[in-house]
Amino acid sequence: MEEKLHIDWLTVILYILIVLFGAINIYSANSGVDEALRLDFSKEYGKQVLFIGVSAIIVFLILLTDYKFFNFSAYGIYVVIIGLLMVLLATGSFNKGAQAWFKIGSFKLQPSEFAKYATALALSKFLGTFDIKFEGRRNIMIALGIIGFPMLLTLLQNDTGSALVFTCFILVLFREGLSGWWLVLVMYMVTLFVLTILLPSISIIISLAVLSALVVYLARKKQQLFWLAIIVFVSSSVYILSLDYVFARILKPHQQQRILVTLNQDVDEYYVKKSKSFSIFKFKKAEVTDKKESKRDYSYNVRQSKISIGAGRWLGNGFNNGTQTKAKLVPEQHTDFIFCTVGEEYGFLGSTLFVLVYLLLIGRIFYLAERQKNEFSRVFGYSTASILFFHFFINIGMAIGLLPVIGIPLPFMSYGGSSLISFSMLLFTFLKLDANRVNEISRLY
Amino acid sequence: MDKSRRLFVLLAMLVAVGLVFIIRLFFLQIVDTSNYYKAQAYGSNDITIYPARGTIVDRYGKLMVYNDAVYDLMVVPQKAKDFDKVALCHELMLDTTEFNKRLKKASKYNPREPSVIFKNLPFHLYTRLQEVLYQYPAFYIETKIDRRYNINGAAHLLGYMGEVTEKQLEQDKYYKPGDTKGITGLEKSYEVYLRGHKGKKVVLVDKFSKTQGSFAGGKFDSLPFAGDNIISSIDLDLQVFGEKLLANKIGSIVAIEPSTGEVLSIVNSPNYDPNLLVGQRRNKNFAALLLDPRKPLFNRALKAPYPPGSTFKTIQALIGMQEGVLTPDTKYPCSGGYHMGSITVGCHAHGSPLDLKNSITKSCNAYYCFVYRSILDNPKYPSVQDAYVKWTQYLNSFGIGVLTGIDLPEESKGIVKKPSYFEREFGKNWRSSNVISMSIGQGQIGLTPLQMANMACIIGNRGYFYTPHVVRSIGDKHIVPPAFSQRHYCMVNKMYFDTVVAGMANVCVPGGTAGHTGIPGITICAKTGTAQNPHGKDHSIFIAFAPRDNPQIAICVIVENGGFGADYAAPIANLIIERYLSKNRGLPSAKPDMLNRMMKANLIGTTAKDSLNAKLSD
Repeated sequence: MEEKLHIDWLTVILYILIVLFGAINIYSANSGVDEALRLDFSKEYGKQVLFIGVSAIIVFLILLTDYKFFNFSAYGIYVVIIGLLMVLLATGSFNKGAQAWFKIGSFKLQPSEFAKYATALALSKFLGTFDIKFEGRRNIMIALGIIGFPMLLTLLQNDTGSALVFTCFILVLFREGLSGWWLVLVMYMVTLFVLTILLPSISIIISLAVLSALVVYLARKKQQLFWLAIIVFVSSSVYILSLDYVFARILKPHQQQRILVTLNQDVDEYYVKKSKSFSIFKFKKAEVTDKKESKRDYSYNVRQSKISIGAGRWLGNGFNNGTQTKAKLVPEQHTDFIFCTVGEEYGFLGSTLFVLVYLLLIGRIFYLAERQKNEFSRVFGYSTASILFFHFFINIGMAIGLLPVIGIPLPFMSYGGSSLISFSMLLFTFLKLDANRVNEISRLY
Repeated sequence: MDKSRRLFVLLAMLVAVGLVFIIRLFFLQIVDTSNYYKAQAYGSNDITIYPARGTIVDRYGKLMVYNDAVYDLMVVPQKAKDFDKVALCHELMLDTTEFNKRLKKASKYNPREPSVIFKNLPFHLYTRLQEVLYQYPAFYIETKIDRRYNINGAAHLLGYMGEVTEKQLEQDKYYKPGDTKGITGLEKSYEVYLRGHKGKKVVLVDKFSKTQGSFAGGKFDSLPFAGDNIISSIDLDLQVFGEKLLANKIGSIVAIEPSTGEVLSIVNSPNYDPNLLVGQRRNKNFAALLLDPRKPLFNRALKAPYPPGSTFKTIQALIGMQEGVLTPDTKYPCSGGYHMGSITVGCHAHGSPLDLKNSITKSCNAYYCFVYRSILDNPKYPSVQDAYVKWTQYLNSFGIGVLTGIDLPEESKGIVKKPSYFEREFGKNWRSSNVISMSIGQGQIGLTPLQMANMACIIGNRGYFYTPHVVRSIGDKHIVPPAFSQRHYCMVNKMYFDTVVAGMANVCVPGGTAGHTGIPGITICAKTGTAQNPHGKDHSIFIAFAPRDNPQIAICVIVENGGFGADYAAPIANLIIERYLSKNRGLPSAKPDMLNRMMKANLIGTTAKDSLNAKLSD
């Protein structure tokens, strides 16, 4: 019997559009000013074309693979990737300092990019196993462990950005039964974190105390609410003070800088403000031993990025005509700051269209995920959409100055073989599973 | 809640994020225009393309001022590592400490941008460096354009260039630090025409100000427009001839074409080669010229007020007639001078009494004492002071005591005192006898050579003059400033000039005060002057115009400490008139002996010029 490939062509078309648009923008950011239009494989845009080719081959292979393979080998792939990460960590400790890639010829393979794929597979497999739900302490701990272990390894590699990506699985867990309160809690904690940096800790704690007192007074007849308010107040205060501690003692100067820059805070002013107000920790500006580090201006990236995007106005300067882009004023423009090129060369209308197309792709994947008939495919679909969403949110938020500089790529757009290939694998593995859903149904009838 | 409904929570998050991003983009790209303007400033760099400065030619089209290439050695300090410093210093003939100092300064300015490390390479160094510079990749030669002067004199006329000052930078946005502009002479007064319009090349620069290529495909580039070429009214041949005649003398010559006001030549002596003040030599040479006791930088022709001496009698006669106190037939006696009480104004031996015409020809001092007193003591006016004020108004109408308005900077008004000056000197009721010396152009009166030449123009034109100017037309369109074609009439009626001109016509024929200096075949109308000088020998002064009717040239010559007007000033003036009027400049002078004597005359001592030249360097 002839099996038709019931692949979701809308997703494929959106994928192709974004990948090609990415290559065009990498060319713009990467080629010289008066350079003739040609393909130079020694340059990044040339290499990206190669990566697209490799991705196409891998995509083709995935589509040929039997859908059962992914379910079957999910744990195996997970174990292999975890092994690779540990090997990197071990060799890195020998070589003084973290190393996040394997060198293969002149190409670098970054296992942390594939770790997301492996984690998605493993989590899907676990939650998709017959009779296992995201319920019960043991199952929850195992699910969190599957996510947390590679996250910890990436964090140990000093790749904070990639490690943060693993928090996106909270969206998957939310779909699978995690209480919505956890999402609220995360948002509450982020809000407190921002407030702690913007305001003296003591004023936040006093405000919280007043608020809690008000709740306690209004809810004096409901004992449950009374205790809840007390618990929220105490834990928030501890959280705020520990944030102070973490920020002042644990974060590295460049990490402090990045966070402060996003919130338009001056480092010196911040320390003056913090040392004046009540705090159990003495705020002392961290001594910067590296001279280069002390001179580095962390607001530069974001400033240049905003100027670049702002220069685009309504319609932008057009392909290969962005002055900021061509002058190479934005660092890392072909990788993490690729959106600057979109902003400058295609303007507000182009950027808006791009954002909409991208969100359409992610929304489409969420939609496809929800229509899956088996848990494995559904969890994997939600994982795919969540990972892409998290990258999109952080990457563009950072480029337009809404979020701190966290160096993670924009999937399908940013230069880089590991990221393009791993995201393509992620997407097409899911599309293969989705195509199979139709086959499964047709087989039923 | 059905868990599948949670999809909508997630989709709502997508929509929220999309909305936030789009609103943020709208603010960044549309509302906040500052980013757009910052982008303009960040990514681009304007490179000025300097236009060619206009050239200056003489009235016959001979090139006087033009542009020439000069070479600067440039360095990009960041790249200047691992090179043979000693060898390069040897090539440049520079000691290493000085070299290091310059390199450090350049590095401090901007290590990534090229800076000048050796300004104005001499040509032999330039050619030598061309051969060896490939060994020094951080260094390269930049070609700039400098001014060259085709004449080794006329420095005051042509002027020189210099770097703009900070104040000028503020006043005129055309200039940028390091630009040059005209400081004196024609270079200054026609700066706006000569400088042209700068071009602009906008280049894309990266964060290190390193050029990446042209900005926006050259959309904002503009081409430079060369400065206007200027046709001067100067007769270069006459200018050079005048400078030769005045060599080894101190003084000046101003020659004007009366029918247009065009200046034919302005000679100052001592003079200097304007090429001395170009390029690297400028600072050293300028100091030497400034310290020279003979003041070669001083523009005598336009700035030095001399007592006009007897040349002033022409003006006195004209004013006297206009005021009605003198007629051509008026005769005054002279008994070796003018005597009044204790005052005596001496005069030389001549027949007596003389009429007006002969009083000019013979230059009788006594005659003009009578004339001036009759002007000042005119019963028409309530007091001497009022008559004096009227008299100064006459002088002003002759361009005396006021600026002539010549198109060169640094002109002096000369000296014409106000009545209040004499009140302070002689008391409130001062009398005509107090100022009697002015009747013969001595005392409290001073005219610049330019004003005296202009005076000769007025007499030649019988009553009017054009503002003297050294530029005939500007640019390809031959623009002539309208002020140059405007006639200025003096307060004396045309009919009174004939007698004075008749007297002047006899000065250079035997029996006149400069009888031996005349040129056969040319009627030169002239007046000698001998100005007493408290610092030494009298100044020799001469004004003239020729021919008598429709004169083509009016001239004033002053030779400091030259004695009688007829001794030096008259021969020099007449030789210049002869040369100008003979259309073939190659013809020998009709007075070869006089020419020879003037060329050889040395009134400043033999060593003076040599000692000056010794201090100057090429």
